[in-house]
Amino acid sequence: MYLLRRRSFWALGFATLLAGCGAPRDPQGTSARIQGGFMKVGVAENAPWVRFVGDEPAGVEPQLVREFAQAHAARIQWVRGGESRLLPQLERGELDLVVGGVTSKTPWAAKLGPTRPYVEAAGDRHVWLAAPGENRFLLELDRFLQGRGDEARRLLQAERGA
Amino acid sequence: MKPAASLPPDRQAVFRRAERLSWLTIGYLASTITLLALVLGSSEALKTAWFDDVLSLFPPILFLVGSKIAARKPDVNYPFGYGRAVSAAYLGASVALLGVGAYLLVDSGLKLIARQHPSIGGIVLFGHVLWHGWVAVPVLLWSGLPAIFLGRAKIPLADALHDKVLLADAKMNAADWQTAGAALLGLLGVAYGLWWADAAAGALISLDILRDGVSNVRAALADLMDRRPQNLPDADDDPLPAQITDFLERQDWVDDAVVRIREQGRRFLAEALVVPSREAGLVGNIARASREACELDWRLLQLVIMPVERIPDDVQGRRPDRPERGEDAQGRRPQQARRSGAPAGAPPAGGA
Repeated sequence: MYLLRRRSFWALGFATLLAGCGAPRDPQGTSARIQGGFMKVGVAENAPWVRFVGDEPAGVEPQLVREFAQAHAARIQWVRGGESRLLPQLERGELDLVVGGVTSKTPWAAKLGPTRPYVEAAGDRHVWLAAPGENRFLLELDRFLQGRGDEARRLLQAERGA
Repeated sequence: MKPAASLPPDRQAVFRRAERLSWLTIGYLASTITLLALVLGSSEALKTAWFDDVLSLFPPILFLVGSKIAARKPDVNYPFGYGRAVSAAYLGASVALLGVGAYLLVDSGLKLIARQHPSIGGIVLFGHVLWHGWVAVPVLLWSGLPAIFLGRAKIPLADALHDKVLLADAKMNAADWQTAGAALLGLLGVAYGLWWADAAAGALISLDILRDGVSNVRAALADLMDRRPQNLPDADDDPLPAQITDFLERQDWVDDAVVRIREQGRRFLAEALVVPSREAGLVGNIARASREACELDWRLLQLVIMPVERIPDDVQGRRPDRPERGEDAQGRRPQQARRSGAPAGAPPAGGA
């Protein structure tokens, strides 16, 4: 009994190590696709987080999204709309990411892939929403946003001043 | 009265050890519950593992609190004592186990049917962003491995104390490695991109909780319905009723005896219907027989002997020790017609 348990735990440990290379993976392969490819980003107007200059998205979050895309050599396909239209699309996997000043309290958090909160403003913690289950993509977003808290606050100041 | 004092001296040390292990279990479970709560995230497998640990808190608490309550001396309002309080609490806890297991099973099943992909991202630890799933691995190992040793240490104690609650506690602990293992496999599956692995692991763990709930409800019901005692942990019938019957029938003043035993917590209460062969010195004989019978087994708290003219018909039909009198131990009648032609269960000719 002991021996059996030890064997299976060794196997588990080995599998864990194996999984460490390249895991976590995306069931729909989002990370692999955006690397050097394109990413579909839904933007919901919500100044100062997201605003529009003509048809081009501007504001705190589109700026950060552009930096993320640059880091992954990805082209961005912006999809403009309201949260109530964009979020079901995100849930179905038709979009990769949705930004729009979404806070961690959003009722959609359970069904979608919220990032960890990256900045706090007016008592709300803000997140981005990724397609559900795309865990590698989500991890990369988390890593990107983690160091960008100060930058987000600077952009926010600039937006408010303007 | 301290719970240990009601036990014979040789069991008191066992009980104290069981008490220490119960406190240790509660402390250990408090740590695993806290850690699991921190790494829960949106993983179904981790959520069910957390529930499993919270439910595992019931048995040791029940053992410690129940022992204190059951040790209270009977008073005017509760002339039979407080032993049944533990049985009632055990039933309540078992039903809770059953309910939560069923709820979690449905929850995991719905997630699978709805094809919900679990989103498990990063967690910030000491300034680094690590994958949530990896951080959960050491927590799961901590919640699975020490529990095995705790459980194994308690099983012989439960046997020595004849304590169902302690045994349920021990079994739940010993099976914790399965819960942790399933949750680990679920997380590994998700890491590999198999989105269904998380909900599947959650379903497996909830099945385990449900199964625990069912077996505990059966044990609690048997206790409350005064089922004849069973051996822990083998669950075949305890030989004590037959032993007491033999003891009584060996007495020269006894013609016939039927013994019924029911459990009250850890102890047994026995009733005997006795057909005496002579009435002289009956009270003294009864008192002596009661005393001596209680020395047969430490679990026997009292033997109440009731002298009767003859064994009543309804009791006659249900004696496990005399199957040829009409019904076998399971209560089934033999198929062939009775030789004597008299209805089964009639008193022997000549009476008592």
